Amino acid sequence: MLKIIIPTMMLIPLTWLSKPNMIWINMTAHSMLISLISLTYLNQLTDNNLNFSLLFFADSLSAPLLALTTWLLPLMIMASQHHLSKETLMRKKLYITMLIMLQLFLIMTFAATELIMFYILFEATLMPTLIIITRWGNQTERLNAGLYFLFYTLVGSLPLLVALVWIQNNLGTLNLLIIQYWAQPLLNSWSNALLWLACMMAFMVKMPLYGLHLWLPKAHVEAPIAGSMVLAAVLLKLGGYGMMRITTLLNPLTNHMAYPFMMLSLWGMIMTSSICLRQTDLKSLIAYSSVSHMALVIMAVLIQSPWSYMGATALMIAHGLTSSMLFCLANSNYERIHSRTMILARGLQTLLPLMAAWWLLASLTNLALPPTINLVGELFVVMASFSWSNITIILMGINITITAIYSLYMLITTQRGKYTHHIKSIKPSFTRENSLMALHLLPLLLLSLNPKIILGPIY
Amino acid sequence: MLRRSLQLALGRDVLGRGLGTHRGGSTLDWNGKMSEIKKKIQSVLPGGAWTQLHDTSYLPPEHSDVVIVGGGVMGLSVAYWLKRLERPRGAIRVLVVERDHTYSQASTVLSVGGIRQQFSVPENIQLSLFSIDFLRNINVRAKTSGGWGGDQSFSPERGAAQLARGIREQKQEGAKVCLMSPEQLRNKFPWINPEGVALASYGMEHEGWFDPWSLLQGLRRKVQSMGVLFCQGEVTRFVSSSSHAETPSGEEVTLKRVHEVHVKIDHSLEYQPVECAIVINAAGAWSGQIAELAGVGKGPPGTLQGTKLPVEPRKRYVYLWNCPQGPGLETPFVIDASGAYFRREGLGNNYLGGCSPTEEEEPDPENLEVDHEFFQDKVWPPLAQRVPAFESLKVRSAWAGYYDYNTFDQNGVVGPHPLVVNMYFATGFSGHGLQQAPAVGRAVAEMVLHGNFQTINLSPFLFNRFHLGEKVHEHNII
Repeated sequence: MLKIIIPTMMLIPLTWLSKPNMIWINMTAHSMLISLISLTYLNQLTDNNLNFSLLFFADSLSAPLLALTTWLLPLMIMASQHHLSKETLMRKKLYITMLIMLQLFLIMTFAATELIMFYILFEATLMPTLIIITRWGNQTERLNAGLYFLFYTLVGSLPLLVALVWIQNNLGTLNLLIIQYWAQPLLNSWSNALLWLACMMAFMVKMPLYGLHLWLPKAHVEAPIAGSMVLAAVLLKLGGYGMMRITTLLNPLTNHMAYPFMMLSLWGMIMTSSICLRQTDLKSLIAYSSVSHMALVIMAVLIQSPWSYMGATALMIAHGLTSSMLFCLANSNYERIHSRTMILARGLQTLLPLMAAWWLLASLTNLALPPTINLVGELFVVMASFSWSNITIILMGINITITAIYSLYMLITTQRGKYTHHIKSIKPSFTRENSLMALHLLPLLLLSLNPKIILGPIY
Repeated sequence: MLRRSLQLALGRDVLGRGLGTHRGGSTLDWNGKMSEIKKKIQSVLPGGAWTQLHDTSYLPPEHSDVVIVGGGVMGLSVAYWLKRLERPRGAIRVLVVERDHTYSQASTVLSVGGIRQQFSVPENIQLSLFSIDFLRNINVRAKTSGGWGGDQSFSPERGAAQLARGIREQKQEGAKVCLMSPEQLRNKFPWINPEGVALASYGMEHEGWFDPWSLLQGLRRKVQSMGVLFCQGEVTRFVSSSSHAETPSGEEVTLKRVHEVHVKIDHSLEYQPVECAIVINAAGAWSGQIAELAGVGKGPPGTLQGTKLPVEPRKRYVYLWNCPQGPGLETPFVIDASGAYFRREGLGNNYLGGCSPTEEEEPDPENLEVDHEFFQDKVWPPLAQRVPAFESLKVRSAWAGYYDYNTFDQNGVVGPHPLVVNMYFATGFSGHGLQQAPAVGRAVAEMVLHGNFQTINLSPFLFNRFHLGEKVHEHNII
């Protein structure tokens, strides 16, 4: 693990000491190299995990998420190039430093063995994200967005700290590898219910669960492109990952404590999908679609069956790549016409055909077209929830339909139709943008050939 | 000394007065403090208006999809139609920037307020027809008080053929006009002296006058209820980005795209950069300056880059007089062949009228001061000749207003600029803007939202004609 942590740490001096005209090249190239190293972790040979040290380990759940995190850094840096071009050199370096610090904390979070270490780094990821959103965001509302983001997550996770310390005192350890074997059954009592809630709420807020999702549209819309990418792709998955780790401690109480949250997820995914149909702001649409997809993951983790865990893991990786790609596409629109409203940038297919191809592929993966891993994840989750209760299939079916509707709505509004007059002279797509989209799509499509690496520890 | 030092130590000063020992009220004032604390807590809780920064509610938002420069009837009409034609509802954020919220110099409110379909260019007729339809149907929002008495315009012998041709076109478009001979004139309006008149055209329906201030206020209220943001400020700068493109004939042009508008707040150096996707120039008499800020006309003369927006302010006077023996209630809006016009105002034998000066006599548009000599020399004689009762009248008051005069062909400029790709014009109507405003607003909104004119085809009014030299010949300009 140190072989990616130390290079990531050293990216910071690289930023500050690079020549001004070499910054972007250096950062993109070196972070790409680091991501290639992290791909080696995907080679999980045994049922167990790769233990690197007492602090870090990587098993088949955290390895794909690690690979996703490190893959995303070069993409974030490529995406930020345009809007940072007008800033001073110091600000550019600061921005990149924030991204690298975020990356560092995320790598350590996913690799952490000890749950307290996981918690500390989980909280630590909030700081660089907050700085990115509030300082480099686009509108005055970003202060409000930052506030919502910070306080929702903090308030959700402070009880988690208390719970973790109590479990440490009780169980003697919080090492993920040990608690798998040492966990005591959690019997039904009021204090145990509170413990369950304390453990889960942090991750529920992070996912986000439908009733606690207010921070997400705000944060996504106000954040700059790199902020949106990392939020959608990785930070939301922190919640999923945390939930999957901590549920080993919370059996059998989960069987009845989980009901309200499952209801909220089921209802929430339909509600947020429907909201997507009425959105006029492109980024806002993608943000709500994230909530909808993550509700599926919450359902899956709470059902706790082998199929659902596989589906949850697959869905997390697939959604990370898809959502990040959609945000990049929306950003390429925004940089050209300085507006996020969908109807002001229409008929782009005739003007930018290659970008239209990326839009098409991103929309198709968003609506879970076979044989992509999006479909694999969704299908597993739908089947698992059907076997948990037959009626959920109606709700899931409605959700899948509405997802398809809004994805196609977004595609048709931005790409088809007659273009308006002021669109005729937008700048053509840059190679940087095209390569950004290709690098998002390539892992997604390649993984459809071999999805077992992202199906998690149960496979 | 010990006692004094003890007193001081205990917080009382030398004279024995300490904290909270005032008779008749405590200095701590608990009640006031509690209510302040409660107010503060309420504002910090979600839903309250507290932000960590200073109050910036007087500033325009940092981002708006469409920025309309100019809050007169043209700008408000564009805002109204943008909000009305957008699909889905609430998609576009529109900001109207108006420099003077009292509208003290705006052409809209200083206008005489007439509306007529008697134009010679078919598009002008269609515009006025739609506008009157619009005005008729927004009965609550624009109180159209005043007469629907029709519009009467005369022509001397030589202009008769032109008038007849014009009538045919107007009838084709659906306007209800008829030609009258001098005898018919004398029969219908006994107060007219039809000497020297060969033909008169009389608009029987859909013509008259209305109160522009009511229209403005009504539109303003409606537009605000539809969600358009207003801001008081002056546009001082456009930040744009340029890119090069090649025309099919091989020459290189520079395309500009405005992506930020700097709005300066009155009486202050503070300005707010508003990021925008589209700018609409509806600044009336000052559209030329706004266009120059955006880079229209910066280039060698004779090229498309060097073609400026030929709209400049021209001062026009309006006089209000009282004539007890004057024509009665059925007086239409009368336009004489000499260019003088008048209409009835109210029910007390008051009349509003004026005349456009010739090119040589153009008054200085520096300020809005009225020249009363102009009335004596240029307006009164032709009116008195046409209407003998006006030989004795008393001028009650007068004012001056600006025409956003299009020096090229005195017709409006509508639509996008070919090189500054996201700036749309809705200006330059040279005195007939108010009556065409609703229709022009719809045309510009269609252009912005759909990319072409859908109901009334205003392509003769595009900016390109200035460079190509194609004038829109409108005969009936007053």
